[in-house]
Amino acid sequence: MKLELKNLTKKYGNFTALNNMTITFEPGIYGILGANGAGKSTMMNLLTDNIDRTKGEILFDDNSANGGVDILKLGKDFRKALGYMPQQQGFYEHMTAQTFLYYMAELKVIPKKQAKSEIEKLLAVTNLSEVRHKKLGGFSGGMKQRALLCQALLGDPKVVILDEPTAGLDPKERIRIRNFISSMSRGKIILLATHIVSDIESISDRIMMMKKGKLIGIGTPNELVESVADKVKELPCAPEDLDKIQAQYKVGNVFQRRGETWVRVIGDDLPADGQYVKDHLSLEDVYLYYLGE
Amino acid sequence: MNEIKRILGNRRILIALVLVLLINGFLFAKEQAENEYGMNLNLPQTELSVSLDGGYMEQVEKADAKETYAHYREWLGKVKDLPLRDAASVLEQEKERLETLLKNEDSPGDDAKAAYAAVNTLLAQTKYLSDYPDWLDSIQKNKDSMLSFSIFSDPDSFSGRNILKTAEEFEKLQGVELKLGENGAVESLLTFSLTDYFLLIVLMIISVSFLEERKKGLWNVVHAAPGGRLRLTIKRTAILFCTSVFGVLLLYGTNLVIGFSIYGGYDSLNRSVQSVELLGGLPQLSTIGAFLSGWFLLRMVAAFFISLLLWLLLTALHNVKYTILITSGVLALEYSLYTFLPVQSSFNLFKYFNLFTYISMSDLYTNYLNIDLFGYPFGICRISQLALPALCVLFGTACIVINCCKKPAAGKDTLGRFAVKLNSITDRFLTHLHLFGFEAYKSVWIQKGIIVIALLVYLALGLSYTAPVPVSNATEGAARQYTTELAGEITEGTLNRIEHIQSELNQTIADYKTAETAYENGEMEYPQFDVYAREASAAQTKSEGLDIVRDRVEQLREQAQEKGFTPYLIAEAPFESVYGKTAESNRQSAAMLSLLILGLLLAGCMTYEKQSGITGLTASTVKGRGVLLTRKILLAAGCATLVWAVVYGLELRAFLMICDTKTLSASAENLALLQNLPLSCKIGTALIFLYAFRLFTLFSAAMLSLLVSSCMKRMETAYILVSSVMLLPSLLYSYIGLAPMKYLSLSIPISAIPLLQGENAIVNVCIVTVCLFILIGISAFALCRKLRIKR
Repeated sequence: MKLELKNLTKKYGNFTALNNMTITFEPGIYGILGANGAGKSTMMNLLTDNIDRTKGEILFDDNSANGGVDILKLGKDFRKALGYMPQQQGFYEHMTAQTFLYYMAELKVIPKKQAKSEIEKLLAVTNLSEVRHKKLGGFSGGMKQRALLCQALLGDPKVVILDEPTAGLDPKERIRIRNFISSMSRGKIILLATHIVSDIESISDRIMMMKKGKLIGIGTPNELVESVADKVKELPCAPEDLDKIQAQYKVGNVFQRRGETWVRVIGDDLPADGQYVKDHLSLEDVYLYYLGE
Repeated sequence: MNEIKRILGNRRILIALVLVLLINGFLFAKEQAENEYGMNLNLPQTELSVSLDGGYMEQVEKADAKETYAHYREWLGKVKDLPLRDAASVLEQEKERLETLLKNEDSPGDDAKAAYAAVNTLLAQTKYLSDYPDWLDSIQKNKDSMLSFSIFSDPDSFSGRNILKTAEEFEKLQGVELKLGENGAVESLLTFSLTDYFLLIVLMIISVSFLEERKKGLWNVVHAAPGGRLRLTIKRTAILFCTSVFGVLLLYGTNLVIGFSIYGGYDSLNRSVQSVELLGGLPQLSTIGAFLSGWFLLRMVAAFFISLLLWLLLTALHNVKYTILITSGVLALEYSLYTFLPVQSSFNLFKYFNLFTYISMSDLYTNYLNIDLFGYPFGICRISQLALPALCVLFGTACIVINCCKKPAAGKDTLGRFAVKLNSITDRFLTHLHLFGFEAYKSVWIQKGIIVIALLVYLALGLSYTAPVPVSNATEGAARQYTTELAGEITEGTLNRIEHIQSELNQTIADYKTAETAYENGEMEYPQFDVYAREASAAQTKSEGLDIVRDRVEQLREQAQEKGFTPYLIAEAPFESVYGKTAESNRQSAAMLSLLILGLLLAGCMTYEKQSGITGLTASTVKGRGVLLTRKILLAAGCATLVWAVVYGLELRAFLMICDTKTLSASAENLALLQNLPLSCKIGTALIFLYAFRLFTLFSAAMLSLLVSSCMKRMETAYILVSSVMLLPSLLYSYIGLAPMKYLSLSIPISAIPLLQGENAIVNVCIVTVCLFILIGISAFALCRKLRIKR
């Protein structure tokens, strides 16, 4: 199974939201990192055919023996394989969680019996079983997020597109959901866009980094972390100098160590003093190195 | 200031307020025309001996309202400065003159009819004024006579005290000088009750706007801010007061200005208030101007009280939905008590100490009534006035206390738990639904379509589907009766029956000739001769009517021979009554109701998804595009069919109740109404075609609703815009007379009859059908584009 983006471009007037994106997705979890406006949601909207593309192709190949067919041609056949969780928490607020899931199951052409067992399972995983008869309008942000995730996973889709799936969840729920996504990822292409770097770090097979509509890097978490091995330093800093350092360098954490204020700076040109960080490099450093302004 | 900005900065509130103001003004002006400007348009009764049994049939003619009112103003100008007695005498003379003129002339002009109706109305007004002192005297006389009855004689009982109080209050009106003048503006201001409810809507809109922070989850934030409690509450109380003042000034002020512009009378406000007949029972010495000032002032205070009460009800509970539910419940209870509790009931306290007493305040001034409070009579008007300031202080304080002290996070959601239990039951049913079922559930239940359907049934049952078909003269009446009697397939037997009736009528006329000779020769008394004369006169009229029927029969036979259909004499009145010109306004109302209901049912169909932000999600599913659209179109078709079945089912039922169903099998060519129908078919088939065409038009309208709905992002705007698109062209064409709107008016093809009239019936129907197909096609195509089914 393959999902291939070829020279995919989306322009809004003169603004290019996605610029000649070319990438092939194979089964696994793809974490997508990028600042706001990097083109993540545009890519997801193009993948779900919710906006018109300006140029390029999106080819889906369910069976690797054949060549990929554009998703616009596949239409329903592609959407059968698709599970989508949008970033905006759109809901029928007057429906109960259970009714909403049955409605989505109906839209996804899932037989009633299968829908019933899947809904039971997903409600349990997302810890919504007890509030299944509550109206979605009365749900908290985290509960809405879980309900949205439930509907995305209904019908065991082969391509799952999750836009900020763990936003608004408490740490316990985040770990639970994260683990569930990881456990069901076998044989599926999962695209996961989030600002929560730790989520991506722990479950992604590969991480894509996007900036201003372009793909600027892709690799496994380890490869990416290794790529910034000589790019991170920690140095003591007087509180009054903090603004100056922040203006000069990309600054990560500011922390207290032995009564002194320390800063973690990331970049190619680092200050002469300070110590290189060899261990405990994280995706946050990667994020700041590649995507920080 | 910021709070006012917040409220008026909300476009929806602003639009709603402006709409209320405009609709109020429009309906007020329309009401004046419908009420015939308060004129009594009846003309003197004319006797027509037309019935087949030789008896009398009376027919009441009416004058034109506008012309009558013009004459009324003219005559009022002539007599208003005369003493009442002289004015009455002048008017009496003129009335007699006009009555004679109307009775003697064969076809009196419209001007004479209007002049008669105007003088008659003015005379009634003069009579009221000149009789007023006698009426006041009668109250004093009644006091003495009633107190002499044992049941009222106890001066310590409520009845006794009531009699004394009434007499005492009206005694001070003795000697009051009443004058003729233009009362229309004041009377229409006091009787147009819709404005009371428009004011309630305005107050409701502003009160509900105070719940916005609760709806948006900002209550905690506002309550925690330094100015979020007492200061905000006081500001809101002030806003309610300003709303009450400006609401009353704008709504009732508009009515008064429109009233003065229609009726005049702003220069005669210094007359005694009792000069207006409607206010004759008001035991208060004042001029009309002073009364109006007081009335406006009291209306403002009452509006303030109502707004405080609404605000209190709305803020009493934490959950916004429940507060709205409870407020609606309280309003419904108060309305029921106000409307259905009899005046004589011992619980009439609840009828008068009622929110709706303050909403429909005019009743307090137009009906003199004392109620029993601990055995003492209290004037309901006075007591309501006195209670108002106290109620305002009480409810204002309660509002301030509740809004300052109520903790946003303290509410226990007891009803919420019950709702969850209820949902678990409905969920069990909903899990079995398929996509169409879900779409229907969304429209009917979630978007409150069930209320719209209930409204449809209520309004459709209240509509009138048949209109009286008047006869212009006695001959026509006789012709109609003979047609009914002879209705059926035209055969030799029909002609024989006509000839038989004719010979009977000839015999009656011949008998009269004989009787005339006998009477002239003194062989017969006058009463006996009068019977002959009356019968002969009736026979003559009947004979003329029979001639019309004979002509029609012959015409039908010729046409039948030419075109090859079976001739059939049909009683056309039932058809005219439902499908004819006289029923045009009925059909228009039915079509407008159908369009309005259809628009309301479907306005949210596509918008709801957009407002919920779910379009992207549904579009990513298998059935989320083409299939979903198909289901929505099916739902639209279902709604169109439902509206059609209710409205036109009732129309058909009304028709079948007055029509002989046998005539439905006759050829359509036999019916004058359908004579331009180019297709040769039975009347029943033509009716099936008519109703099918209406269904098709309603379906086209439904598709248009879907298209407009898909362009909207918010439900409120969708409801306004869809209703406007559906109704506005029809309203502008029908009520304002904007001719170009005829081509955009959907009510014409729904009504369908106008298309079938005239010589180009088939061309009209074909053009409209093609236009409707194009409309359906464009709507479907645009919807497909929007749902990205077609690119």
